[in-house]
Amino acid sequence: MTDEPYRWLEAVANRREYIRDQLKDATPIFAVSRPEGILLMGVGIGQSKVFEIYDRLALAALGHSVDIERLRQTAIEAAHLEGFTRDPADVTARRLLNFSLCPALKNSFEQVFAAPFLVELVLAELGGDRQSDVLARVSYDGSVRYLTGPVAVAHPSSKSESAAIEWLLGQLTEDLGLREVVARLILAWRALTTGKSFIGPTVEPSIDWSIPEPGLELALLDRRSSSRARYRSLNPHDLA
Amino acid sequence: MNGDFLSLLPRHSVAVSGIERSGGPSPRLEGTTVFAFHCADGVLVAGDHRATAGNVVFSDTTEKILELDAHSLIAIAGSPSVALEMARTLQTSFEFYRRSQLQPMSLAAKLRALSRLLRENLPGTLQGFGVVAPLFAGVDATTGKPSIYFYDPLGAQFEAAAYAGSGSGSASVKSVLHYLEKWGPHPATLPLPEAVQLANRLLMTAAEFDAATGGVDPAQNDFATLKLLNRDGIRSFTRNEQAQFWQEARP
Repeated sequence: MTDEPYRWLEAVANRREYIRDQLKDATPIFAVSRPEGILLMGVGIGQSKVFEIYDRLALAALGHSVDIERLRQTAIEAAHLEGFTRDPADVTARRLLNFSLCPALKNSFEQVFAAPFLVELVLAELGGDRQSDVLARVSYDGSVRYLTGPVAVAHPSSKSESAAIEWLLGQLTEDLGLREVVARLILAWRALTTGKSFIGPTVEPSIDWSIPEPGLELALLDRRSSSRARYRSLNPHDLA
Repeated sequence: MNGDFLSLLPRHSVAVSGIERSGGPSPRLEGTTVFAFHCADGVLVAGDHRATAGNVVFSDTTEKILELDAHSLIAIAGSPSVALEMARTLQTSFEFYRRSQLQPMSLAAKLRALSRLLRENLPGTLQGFGVVAPLFAGVDATTGKPSIYFYDPLGAQFEAAAYAGSGSGSASVKSVLHYLEKWGPHPATLPLPEAVQLANRLLMTAAEFDAATGGVDPAQNDFATLKLLNRDGIRSFTRNEQAQFWQEARP
């Protein structure tokens, strides 16, 4: 049936529609490059969305928890094998995506008779300075975009995603501490999950931490740390 | 998917550390004299910087105390090629487990992992030139208590109550520590400056009686490799910090 070109195109289009429909209620995840390091945020009610992959690599993902888990394991295995056989410095986001994660995603997407990965991800790599930080936005079909700016968002709707990135780029000025950055990410999270527009009053005078906090997950790839593993989970109450 | 890094290696055709059985003589390269004892602030692990091949000093800047993760470290004595590879394998194994399973490996499992590597090195051990007899120090996650363990080259593991030593110069170190344990002052009661001083003096004693142990010379700002392990993690001491402690300590 799918050996006819038209049928195959139709099958792939159906597949995209199916995946988008499955992901439509997923909540967004964020990764921003800051002077302190790369901050990652997700709000998972009973589900983790932010993970450590390697010394300087972290993953934030939305979608089906089993699919996230499979990709996370794939990434961790590939990173540790590479770091062990060569050197931790050879484990980079670009190589991990090109040789491991993206082919896996694309293969699974094109096997039209098997279940696809229901995921959207951001892979972050901490550099020595902000210019060398890498933020990669990866889609369920294995396509990857390396972001040129310091803000990455993954959200099922690409239009809202772009609007959120644009708003955050304007909001996240150099002088903000991590607490203020998190406050703005939470505002963006709320706007995206309630379908509000990003035009209008930008910053609320007092930040209400209460809404997403039960599942609020924060992690920092710490630029200032001297240890090999730079990933650490942050408690929102401890932020200065 | 069980967090076992070692089982991942053969699937990707990566050879594990260890020496295959073969004939012919080989140079014996050895690292010498490491020890650990309990002091008031935790477990202090110390070593010299020397590696020897027969009667030749191969290197005087060897790192023998290696951090495996935030709460465990290994002190190596014996063949450095095998020992360093074991340390690297353990480092990756512990980190792999912690990241993939989203929880740190238990202290008991870390100890077993080192046992397993030592057993897998049986050919090297039997031939004599790949012998490794390491010390291991780790913190129990539930109690927060640091402990010292020592191994025989075949992988049997023993917990040391107060101190342990390994390598050719360790006999003198263990004699002195035994004396202090028995008749005082008890090393476990020593504050940090005195403990650092004791560790350096022990190494000077070992160097006095063992040609393969590189000594230290506080007058020349030359000190031992020292790491302190307790529930807060691992702290290393630079030469200048040790010089400071050396001055602060009671004579």
